[in-house]
Amino acid sequence: MNHGPLIFLGVFFALALSWFGLVFEPQLQLGNAQQATNVVNSAELYPQRRPGLAKQGLEVYRSLGCASCHSQQVGQTRRTYDVMLTDAGTNRADVARALLKVKTGASAVELEKALAGPMPLRILKDVTRAAADAAIEKLDPTGAKAEVKITPTGPDIARGWGKRRSVAEDFLFDQPVMLGSQRIGPDLADVGSRLPVAEWHLLHLYNPKIVEKKSVMPPYRFLFEKRKIGREPSPNALRLPGEFAPERDFEIIPTDQAKALVAYLISLRADTVIFETPMTVAVAASTNAPAVSTNAPVAAVTNAPAK
Amino acid sequence: MSAIPSSEPPVSPGTTAIPPVPPAEIDASCRVPVLVLFACAAVWLVTASAFALITSLKLHMPQLLADCPWFTYGRLQAMQMNALIYGFAAQTALGTSLWLIARLGRARLVQPGYVVVGALLWNLGVKIGIFGIQIGDSSGFEWLEIPGYASPILFVGYAIMGVCGLLTFHQRSEPTLYVSQWFLLAALFWFPWIYSTANLLLVFFPVRGVVQASINWWYIGSLSGIWFGFIGLAVIFYFLPKLPRRPLHSNPLAMLAFWALALFGGWGGIHHGAPLPAWIPSLSTVFTGLTLIPLLAIAINWNNTLAGASTSWKESLPLRFVFFGAVAYLLAGALSIVDSLPQVSQTTHFTFFTTARTQLLLYGFFSMTMFGAIYYVVPLLTQSEWPSAKWANRHFTLAALGIALYVASLALGGIFQGRALNDPNKSFLDALHIGLVFFRVSTLGDLLMLAGNGLLALNLAVWLVRCCRACCVPAIVAAVKPQLAEVAR
Amino acid sequence: MNSEPNPSNRARELEPIAGSARAPVWLFVLVAMLGFLSMGFLDNHGGGFDPRVYRPYKSIDELGRDQPATRSRQRFIKGQVAFNTYCASCHMKTGLGNPGNRVPPLVHSEWVLAERPNRLIRIVLNGLQGPVKVDGKDFDSSSMIPWRDTLSDDEIIAQILTFIRGNAEWGHNASEISREQVDPIRAETRDRARQWTVDELLNVPEQ
Repeated sequence: MNHGPLIFLGVFFALALSWFGLVFEPQLQLGNAQQATNVVNSAELYPQRRPGLAKQGLEVYRSLGCASCHSQQVGQTRRTYDVMLTDAGTNRADVARALLKVKTGASAVELEKALAGPMPLRILKDVTRAAADAAIEKLDPTGAKAEVKITPTGPDIARGWGKRRSVAEDFLFDQPVMLGSQRIGPDLADVGSRLPVAEWHLLHLYNPKIVEKKSVMPPYRFLFEKRKIGREPSPNALRLPGEFAPERDFEIIPTDQAKALVAYLISLRADTVIFETPMTVAVAASTNAPAVSTNAPVAAVTNAPAK
Repeated sequence: MSAIPSSEPPVSPGTTAIPPVPPAEIDASCRVPVLVLFACAAVWLVTASAFALITSLKLHMPQLLADCPWFTYGRLQAMQMNALIYGFAAQTALGTSLWLIARLGRARLVQPGYVVVGALLWNLGVKIGIFGIQIGDSSGFEWLEIPGYASPILFVGYAIMGVCGLLTFHQRSEPTLYVSQWFLLAALFWFPWIYSTANLLLVFFPVRGVVQASINWWYIGSLSGIWFGFIGLAVIFYFLPKLPRRPLHSNPLAMLAFWALALFGGWGGIHHGAPLPAWIPSLSTVFTGLTLIPLLAIAINWNNTLAGASTSWKESLPLRFVFFGAVAYLLAGALSIVDSLPQVSQTTHFTFFTTARTQLLLYGFFSMTMFGAIYYVVPLLTQSEWPSAKWANRHFTLAALGIALYVASLALGGIFQGRALNDPNKSFLDALHIGLVFFRVSTLGDLLMLAGNGLLALNLAVWLVRCCRACCVPAIVAAVKPQLAEVAR
Repeated sequence: MNSEPNPSNRARELEPIAGSARAPVWLFVLVAMLGFLSMGFLDNHGGGFDPRVYRPYKSIDELGRDQPATRSRQRFIKGQVAFNTYCASCHMKTGLGNPGNRVPPLVHSEWVLAERPNRLIRIVLNGLQGPVKVDGKDFDSSSMIPWRDTLSDDEIIAQILTFIRGNAEWGHNASEISREQVDPIRAETRDRARQWTVDELLNVPEQ
């Protein structure tokens, strides 16, 4: 068959198309990524390498196959734009007039009251980027300072599993990268932010039902050592509640594996704001704006219409 | 339609004068290696099913075997998948491929002894690999958990068997290629590429960061879509026309399906929530969507091939299995396409739905197709009959029922679980427990599949014992008798 | 109902043969339609194949627009990097200059800290030569090369000037410079080829 070699090449390239797209090109684009000063408004390097104990913990995580139940990737479906007034300036009347034009849905009286109240004040909620920019442009000449607040949203974020989505940089120094594909247990990408206490993790590993009654996670008692109390109880001993405590004269001590695994879990954070995931967070001492808190209770103008 | 084919293929002028080998001789040359592969595969099948059942039970009773690190859920889950994929599925794939290449090319299998060596090496590799996962050396990558000290053994074993297959193909006496041969050759060649790439770039010289995840997902997609997909399709394209004695409906359509699958088939499985730049999951979705075309082409082909042969699939057990596999393939393909859309995967990702889809492909399509092939091929190779036709039929019932229960319950459960997970007002554990209600049914499915697989293994075991008694024992006796007579004197 | 697992009629076992029915036309129409839809999907969700664009962003421009409005800190940091690259070889990282080599310091320099920066921008664009007095000290013959061509991007000039004017380590706290201030001066002086002298600079009104 003369066409044999040609057909073979044809089949090879057809099959290799997926290799080009999913192996070669991602490696070209992401494979040489470095630790970078990508953190917005800061000269910090991101990501930081995991400390030694956490790195050992990653090996324990891999060896026990935790990724078969836990995922480590927070997703995001959209982002919301709010407009926050951070400084009403000196000319409140002008600001109030401008705000009326911005269509916040509040009346002039409400606006006057709100402008006298605490800052920051949310003027617009969940509008398009264009509408937010237009509002800020209208407010600029009045001397007031306003900014767009960007918040990533999605089911994972609403559930508290992260403040932003996971991106490639979050996994830069991990080997292996265990993103998981099942959520028989909660997502762990940002578990270090919401559960930073080692003791919680140790109790949870020893017997998940101590801290979570309906959990289906198996108890990892083999990560702990049960031994007789010596002259005095060890400072590392777990403080187990009534029905889970061992018999008298015995205590439960976490092994090195348990401690490493917990250190790894606590090191899992994905909340730094970087270029790929812009969001507005509380900024510490920016040059002349007052301290902006995103969790500040917002004043009267909360019934502003969406778009 | 073409006329009834004669058993002698037309020899076109100008071909080399390799005379076509009669089927009986081809089967004789394939006998030992293919039976070794099938027997070992059957043992791994039962092992994998048993592991799967235990894993399933652990979700209902977390205390089960919890104190033994060798049987912790994470390791057991990996062991189960790897035993199923590399222990059972890969070996039956190789066994049927070699037999089909020999049969369709009308040539004897080249160097059956080396093939046996390759098979034994493969089994050694899988054994070491599964044990390695058990003691905690898992590589951490899905479907590639076999540690780095075992995967080269697998690779060498495969290389030996693959080369023998290629040499058999090269010595073929039949110049025109049948559809199955294209699929088989492409698959035979593609596995070493994906296996070596994945192992080199993930385990031995790991790439940096999240590219590992992309390569891992590429490997899973290629292994299931291209390797298992192509070999399963080759077997179905072979048996579906052959057993009802009808010609395949359309060669051009099959060619279209082949090229389209080669281009689009290996892209699956990257969902849009992954921490990868937006273009990667988008490409994955686009190409998975394009697999609709080969899926339709294959469906038309099979449907028209079987049209007018309506009753024969009920009479032949291998055809029943193959038909089930064919339907499962089309269903799994359709589910993949639907699942690749971002709106759908937003609900189904990370739920039991993905498990259902994977098992539909691996077990419902591939394993059932291979069962059909095994039931057809073993009697030809051994020149005898299955010890128990009843067990064989029970196997079909149990396996079909088992996988149907499994897939239906998990698919439905996954959708409900996903919707609850996307509702931030429902706690995580509430969402999980919604899914677990359906999971109980799937555990029953696991049990049924284990029982069915056990019957196959039993059938093969009984045959093995019978065969040994029939041929090996007299042979040994005949060899030893003169010495015994000497000693007696 | 039991099916027969064993192959019947082994003697007349035949290999399958493929027919030659044509592929239906509608299949190719479907190919074209799917191809078109796929391209639309990639346009919408592909993020321009940029490795920095993640769902839900559609393009690097959209992503860029969402970066925080206060760019002064970023400008400062980038200015520091650029300063170290281009300026520190003469003016030193400490900004103290090199009196032996006739390089005046930037620290406490009234030229740097002037409230209106147009003379400073001119110095960077076209360089300086001849005697200059900085912070009470005389430098009888300075020779700063023009940077108009090397630093063709005004954003970099703005960053460097923001840095040297606002570097707290030097005790500086003057206002930042934006590229919108650099652009018009570059345009105004585009025909100038020579370096500035102090007399010429002092004739330029402070703006």
